[in-house]
Amino acid sequence: MSDLLKLLAALGVVVLGTRLSAWGEEMPKGGSKVFPYPVNVTVLENGLKVIAVPFDSPGLVAYWTVVRAGSRNEIEPGKSGFAHFFEHMMFRGTEAYPKDKYNAILKELGADHNAFTTDDYTAYHVLAPATGLETIMTIESDRFKNLKYTVEDFKKEAGAVLGEYNKNASNPFQTLNEKIRDTAFITHTYKHTTIGFLRDVKDMPNQYEYSLQFFDRYYRPENCSLLVVGDVDPNRLVELARKNYGSWKRGAYQVEIPAEPPQAEGKRTGVDWPNPTQPYLYVGYHGPAFSDTQIDMPALDLVSQLLFSEAAPLYQKLVNEEQEVDLLFGAASDHRDPYLFEIAARVKKPERVAYVESTITAAIEDLKETPIAADRLDKAKSHLKYSYAMGLNTAGSVARGLAHYIALTGDPEAVNRVYAIYDRVTPEDVRAAARKYFVSSGRTVVTLSHKEGAAAGAPGGAGAAVAAR
Amino acid sequence: MRRRLVPLAVPLAALLGVLSAGAADSKEKKTMKPISNPAAGSPLRTSLLPSPASPLIAFRIQFRCGAINDPAGKEGLNVLTAMTIAQGGTKDLTYKEVTERLYPMAATIDAMADKEVTTFIGSVHRDHAKAYYDLLTSVLLRPRFDESDFKRSRDDLVAAIETNLRGNDDEGLGKATLDWTMYRGHPYRNLDIGTVQGLKSITLDDLKAHYRKSYTQGNVVLGVAGGYPDGMIESLKTDFATLPQGAPPLVALPKPKPLSGMEVTLVEKPAPATAISIGFPIGVTRADKDFYALLVANSYFGEHRTFNGRLTNRMRGDRGLNYGDYSYTESFIQDGGSTFPLTNIPRRQQFFSIWIRPVPPVNALFALRQATRELKMLVDRGLSAQDFEATRKYLLNYSRLWAQDQSRRLGYQLDSEFYGTKFFIDRVQEELPRLKLEDVNAAVKRHLQAANLAVAIVTENAAALKETLLSGKPTPITYQTPTTSEALLKEDKEIESFRLPLNRERLLIVKAQELFEK
Repeated sequence: MSDLLKLLAALGVVVLGTRLSAWGEEMPKGGSKVFPYPVNVTVLENGLKVIAVPFDSPGLVAYWTVVRAGSRNEIEPGKSGFAHFFEHMMFRGTEAYPKDKYNAILKELGADHNAFTTDDYTAYHVLAPATGLETIMTIESDRFKNLKYTVEDFKKEAGAVLGEYNKNASNPFQTLNEKIRDTAFITHTYKHTTIGFLRDVKDMPNQYEYSLQFFDRYYRPENCSLLVVGDVDPNRLVELARKNYGSWKRGAYQVEIPAEPPQAEGKRTGVDWPNPTQPYLYVGYHGPAFSDTQIDMPALDLVSQLLFSEAAPLYQKLVNEEQEVDLLFGAASDHRDPYLFEIAARVKKPERVAYVESTITAAIEDLKETPIAADRLDKAKSHLKYSYAMGLNTAGSVARGLAHYIALTGDPEAVNRVYAIYDRVTPEDVRAAARKYFVSSGRTVVTLSHKEGAAAGAPGGAGAAVAAR
Repeated sequence: MRRRLVPLAVPLAALLGVLSAGAADSKEKKTMKPISNPAAGSPLRTSLLPSPASPLIAFRIQFRCGAINDPAGKEGLNVLTAMTIAQGGTKDLTYKEVTERLYPMAATIDAMADKEVTTFIGSVHRDHAKAYYDLLTSVLLRPRFDESDFKRSRDDLVAAIETNLRGNDDEGLGKATLDWTMYRGHPYRNLDIGTVQGLKSITLDDLKAHYRKSYTQGNVVLGVAGGYPDGMIESLKTDFATLPQGAPPLVALPKPKPLSGMEVTLVEKPAPATAISIGFPIGVTRADKDFYALLVANSYFGEHRTFNGRLTNRMRGDRGLNYGDYSYTESFIQDGGSTFPLTNIPRRQQFFSIWIRPVPPVNALFALRQATRELKMLVDRGLSAQDFEATRKYLLNYSRLWAQDQSRRLGYQLDSEFYGTKFFIDRVQEELPRLKLEDVNAAVKRHLQAANLAVAIVTENAAALKETLLSGKPTPITYQTPTTSEALLKEDKEIESFRLPLNRERLLIVKAQELFEK
């Protein structure tokens, strides 16, 4: 649910009118082209994708490295949270550029740089003057090829990861997220959050050897994409990439993620919370994987709008008219493998949780029976398109939006295909998707409510994206 | 109308995904030139950043009123008024109808109410310029003040204190408690969102009265950026001329009471880790030359969420104490998911602060001692020539990233006008090259110190922590994995018994559930 990247990506794209309208006139609605900037993709001999997106950010580039490994890849027991921990280790330096030297170079450029990990991928990003491109590539390619850290550094960084866990531990959403995954999934690695189970986070200092294996498996050119957005010449980027990344050796590892068996019956569990709070209702229905060819996920994205956007009748009823809940959210976030359509509500009065749950269920049932009015669907599509168009406002936001699709499919063109599908979704597609996925046997419900004396912050966990700092 | 009103509510809202990319902005244009207050003689001030090629239009309509305008017993009046307007209907349209019209445009009307100013922030694609303009101006100039919108907003704000702040956000609670400790008897002491009892005592008539008094022609700046159509600014001026003339008098700010030693507030609540904030008022703002010297010193010491700051490198990097440790020379709120500062939270008086992200409770006092000791070393020793040069160079480049989109650029422009200085980032570019190392170290000695500090600690077992503090006994670090570095072990010994300038009379324990009640 808390995958902010998904939110960026959940927004539509369109090239909209470019002429200035006279004051007081409505502009004609936009055209149909999807991603408005040229995307130049070159695959190097070792499999590394080099992607250049010229964008009007004079003198600036966003330099992203997308590694298609996230907490989904943590297949061994006891290793949850490792992809994220490894992301932290990537800042511990190499022989040529030890940590302090690496940081001093980026400091000199005045760069904004960080990294984050999600269920499906890890992204390293630098925003800096375009004149620094070659310097950035020199140090970035070096750490992807030659990362080196001591056992002691490794152990110390585990403390920072525990600190990251701790900073969120008072927030009920962290616990709810951990609980619903752990309950809804049996075998798939989406069972754990990206930051991992607390017991595994605490055991991280003992996993040095595994960290070397993790690097060896996933930090390989065929599993990564280099994405540069902004003031960049695509040809020069490829030339520099060949020089700096050309010697990076391909890997051979193929991960096998355990498939999740269909859920046989509905599940329900509860969490006691030590701090006074309104109760939370958190519902997950098993949903589809991301696809840029199948209609299911785009249809569910529109379901999310039709039920849970601020203009949706259900939202208006529960939040604005009856004022039964003060927070309401529902969406299926894009994942490489089938994940959940998650719904969250914070209910103002404890005794009204059952009513809120039944009202949400009734709205879902209605969607399964009654085709949605065509004009409501059109408004939802318009919302998605304009949200996206308005979100593409900096080199960094364009890079973030594309990185999402690169991570899901390996292909930035996926964004075009997905938004072409949005355009095709019909009221009947919406109803079919609702019927297919909103089934009681595939449902998991978690409630959280205050109980004096409950353990603080336990069991804890984190949302979908966690960052190096 | 996304629920982005209250900075304190942001962490929760972010998890719910309602923040997304914030308001929609457009890419920065080289050609952008600020045009401020072109209508000489007009009481209505505008702040414009035209960018004709941009398909987007950003609005920041700012009123000079904030939490400091809240009457005693009605704390929260300003924010509740703003929220009921931004998330409410117009004379002609219900809130539901406004929401339904904004929705297909993916346009937003947000309000942000801070201590001294309240800013309504909006963005729209120019395809919908006129329709959006009509909604925005109706919402601001003909607010519905519907009982239902009022009640919902009040419930949200009460929950933002009772549940979100006291319960879910220990770091936010630490920062709020720092204000509470640092600003005794000062209008800055209260939360921007008031108190629970204050909010509950406010009536719809109170809102209308505050609106009539503060939403006036002389009290507003009309900020617009981007590809707005010809004629829109004239319409804006004509429409806002329907507001009452004049402006209410500015609330006088007393000088903050001096702190005496280390004044500690321990906030007791169930919490798996301990959040700590340290701070003290300073006498400089962006209007002052010394601010720019402190900007360099602070970046060296604790630049927000980077690996540049000494604090983070010593506390997190060397010792794995927590996720990060930063410092600030003015009120700072991170803008959404970026690392850049939120704009439009200006203050006539500022403070210096240190933010220690949650540490395991066993290391709380070690962390407090280490941060205090580092601050003392900064004051005593200053920066080296090398650190000064590297940090200045960094800031000269880094500051160019602060206003990449036109809405943020407009925000900075409004802030610069508030402080009566030139465009802030231009001023940074102008001041920093002139600085010498001696200027920076002298400014540090003039404005920073480690003797009189306010401290807020959010923790379980506050009584035990208080006892340890009072005992003055060493508080050694507990490593998750012991270090083998001789240098670190030696320094650890110095830190664990570093003498804190504790004010024993001003060592309070308060329960989280009692804070900001009235």
